[in-house]
Amino acid sequence: MTSTDHIDWHRLHRITPVLNAWKVAAGLFAVFVWQSADQLGELDLAVTTLLLIIAGVVVLGALLGLGFSALAWSRTKYGITEDSILLHSGVLFRQQRHVRLDRLQTVDVTQPLLARFTGFAALKIESAGGAGSNLTLAYLREDEAQRLRNELLARAAGVRMETDEAGVQHAPAAPEMHLYTLSPGRLVGSLALSGGIVTMLVAAVGLVVIAVVTENLSSVFAMGAPLIGAAAYFWSRFAGEFSFRVATSPDGIRIRQGLLESKARTVPPGRVQAVRLAQPPLWRFKGWWRITVNIAGYGAEETTGTVLFPVATEAEAAHLLSLVHPDLGDDRPLEVLRAGLTGDGDQEGFQHTPARAWWLDPLTWRRTGVRMTGTAVLLRTGRWWRSLVLVPHERIQSLGVTQGPWERKLDLMTFSIHSTPGPVTPMVHHQDAEATSLLLAEMTRRARNARRSAGPERWMTPAEEGSAALHEGGGFGGVLPSRVVSSAGVLPASPRAMTDDPGRMAP
Amino acid sequence: MATMSSGSAFEVDGAQWQSVSPKLVPVRQIGVAIGLGIPLVASVVVAIFTTPAVWAAPAVFGILLVWLLWLVPRQVRAIRYAELEDELLIRKGVLFRSMVVVPYGRMQYVDVDAGPIARSMGIAQVQLHTASAQSDASIPGLPEAEAARLRDQLSARGEARLAGL
Repeated sequence: MTSTDHIDWHRLHRITPVLNAWKVAAGLFAVFVWQSADQLGELDLAVTTLLLIIAGVVVLGALLGLGFSALAWSRTKYGITEDSILLHSGVLFRQQRHVRLDRLQTVDVTQPLLARFTGFAALKIESAGGAGSNLTLAYLREDEAQRLRNELLARAAGVRMETDEAGVQHAPAAPEMHLYTLSPGRLVGSLALSGGIVTMLVAAVGLVVIAVVTENLSSVFAMGAPLIGAAAYFWSRFAGEFSFRVATSPDGIRIRQGLLESKARTVPPGRVQAVRLAQPPLWRFKGWWRITVNIAGYGAEETTGTVLFPVATEAEAAHLLSLVHPDLGDDRPLEVLRAGLTGDGDQEGFQHTPARAWWLDPLTWRRTGVRMTGTAVLLRTGRWWRSLVLVPHERIQSLGVTQGPWERKLDLMTFSIHSTPGPVTPMVHHQDAEATSLLLAEMTRRARNARRSAGPERWMTPAEEGSAALHEGGGFGGVLPSRVVSSAGVLPASPRAMTDDPGRMAP
Repeated sequence: MATMSSGSAFEVDGAQWQSVSPKLVPVRQIGVAIGLGIPLVASVVVAIFTTPAVWAAPAVFGILLVWLLWLVPRQVRAIRYAELEDELLIRKGVLFRSMVVVPYGRMQYVDVDAGPIARSMGIAQVQLHTASAQSDASIPGLPEAEAARLRDQLSARGEARLAGL
């Protein structure tokens, strides 16, 4: 049903212009204050007159915003077909955006503060078209947004709709299993132990000391702006990652977060392109890891959307990793993972920077390394700022090697995996040249096989005939498909599933 | 292992490497000459009308120009590409070498570009785009017929081996 004749068009909720108008008003107010604060100060007016002028500007701005938003609202409509979601919008420049549901990457239900109080929500559908390729439905009633989310995910997954007596189609609700909640204490602790806060406090104390000693406040004013910027950053981290919760459902991983603005994000299976577990130096005493992911369509500018879990212990991190990549493709997944997280040298089959290059990386040469498993590549870097990157074979976009003059002298190479834009850049420096060319050839082969046997984009439809057979013949026979598809949907993987699986063979 | 010759690290079994057109050398040299010639002339003019110390600027531009004119032919000779069954390989660089392996199935689209100088020489650049911004899979300096053949070939192979994201 791709023709637009039979589409049931819907409007956004009538409250939309009101919720949008205050933004216009706030924007106008800010611009007004910014532009004319000086002139107003010089006019030498009474305080009441000044307040009246400002109030007038705000009311005018709100009315203008309301008018424009109402016009925009009246020209906006959306509809859902069997395989796409459509949004027609725009007053002067009309836009018709059609997003194919099999290309859907994530679905977010976001609630800015005002919408949260009034029970409304925005629905954001991310497709893989790069930054700015999302489709946003703002605003809908909260329950309507959730119903729509379920329907979109069910349609994207290829689940059949249930039709009730009245002939209305319903998406079966996806059962959800709650996994982890980030406690406020751990969030505050993690921020306090991140290098930034320490630097900021030292800088602030230093400034006060300088100001007291020199009896001059100019240094405080000079450094004030960067400090406020840093404080704003930490506030946004705190508010954005407050009450971070992760759950699993057949629709994928569901992430909820936010102190003021709440966000509920659903990442369907197979949408994560690369995972990174990172640990700043002070976090190692607590054994905490920050897990970020690359998801096509988000791009590098999105900061909160790419976090899978802000602060996880090693066991939680292993479990969360098993959700996005259920099968590590090795007999000893936990040992391999631990060697990648905290180990060094060649334990558990990691290949690292050869000893002859110790003077290029005096601290990190034993740590900088690669390990290929049956289903993914692990890249280990950093001695103080530890980091482990995982890229599933079927998500490799392309591979690259580079060699500078020093590397050529020492017979080394820098190896990188090209992933979609995001916070994770899989790359290791100074690997042995011959080992790297072998790695490159083998990884190319495994990526080729993994692509052929990759699960369907519509994750609930059965895999195509023959793909399993191809997988068997792919050189790592016996390894389970990376997604366990059953009639009940994707089975939530547990840490047990990572360890107790006798059916695997070493690659 | 450490005594292995460094050139062979960029060799791949079964790859038949192809060079790009030597016409890319003048195209790039003209580009370099324009890019550095303008500041060179401008700084000479400034130096004539001001103090002799300013002659340092045209000297730097001149040295850079000569060095780049010497470097360009070697860089062009170092560009190689090979079409494998499932992947495209591209090798570049003299001092800083690189190789990229791009599976056809990962291709999102192909671009064929030619600037005014390249067009007058009858060469074009073919660029393969994947969903990653990092895959720099461009082959400059292909004769127009070869560029068209490669474009069609890549499109056909990409379609046949198309994979999801």
